[in-house]
Amino acid sequence: MDLPMPDLPELNPVIHGRLRLALLSLLSGVEEAEFTWLRAKTASTDGNLGAQLLKLEEAGYLTVEKKFVLRKPQTLYRITEAGRQALTEYVRALKQLLGSAMDA
Amino acid sequence: MHADLNEQELRDRLSLIESMIAEGRRTTESWGWTFVLWGVAYYIALAWSIWSPSVWAWPVTIVAAVIVTFVGVSIKAGSRPETTLGRASMAIWTALGVSMFVLFLAMGFTGRLADVRVFISIASAILGMANGASGIILRWKVQIACAIVWWAAAALSCFVSESQSLIVFLVAIFFCQIVFGIYGMIAEARQRKGQANNGPAHA
Repeated sequence: MDLPMPDLPELNPVIHGRLRLALLSLLSGVEEAEFTWLRAKTASTDGNLGAQLLKLEEAGYLTVEKKFVLRKPQTLYRITEAGRQALTEYVRALKQLLGSAMDA
Repeated sequence: MHADLNEQELRDRLSLIESMIAEGRRTTESWGWTFVLWGVAYYIALAWSIWSPSVWAWPVTIVAAVIVTFVGVSIKAGSRPETTLGRASMAIWTALGVSMFVLFLAMGFTGRLADVRVFISIASAILGMANGASGIILRWKVQIACAIVWWAAAALSCFVSESQSLIVFLVAIFFCQIVFGIYGMIAEARQRKGQANNGPAHA
């Protein structure tokens, strides 16, 4: 059933992709997370994960910090306030669309 | 962006968000080994201070345990995300470590620790406080039970002889550090196994 709907909210294209949406959702539940943990949780490849994280970073939805722990490089990601807001609005829009779909 | 989505796809998106948020919060912490390590460190320090009395017995053992803990935590924390709960627990144990180290080092060097019962009472009360706070934060009844054992040991040490007080301390360390630590390690292993069986969250 396709949803025809003028007057309905648009879904944010930056976080609409499944991997980007999963990453933002994962980061919303923790204070910060390492690249390898995000890769394990999303079962994605290094290249794809890096590209999607970069898009989220460019949109201002997350920040990245690179550091060394016991001489090993670590890349840590944190969700920003803008990212949290975008995710909240995305969920609100989804629920609104779902409500309309059920009404239809 | 929404024109090409059907109801099932919308539900899938919502379900993905919920599962990923839950996944982040379900992160397994592994702290059981630190309880065992510190239990063994207390036994070593006690044995050293009893059989070969020295003001260095506790400081040296504690510093060695701190170094091993720091290295172990750094290695294990490598790929684990930081959560508010994890940071709260870490804060409690760090504050406990600093408090005990500063207090007992000063008391030891100034000769104020003449009565071993005072040392055992203070140490047990501080350990009870840390276990109690951590147990309440994590809603972990077993750890709250450990706190009660420590508080009982703190009170009991004031009413018994020095040798009996030492036995109380050894028993409390055995149950609240060694046994509790091993129990924690088994629980963590089971949790990790359960998560592995669920498989990674595909996105």
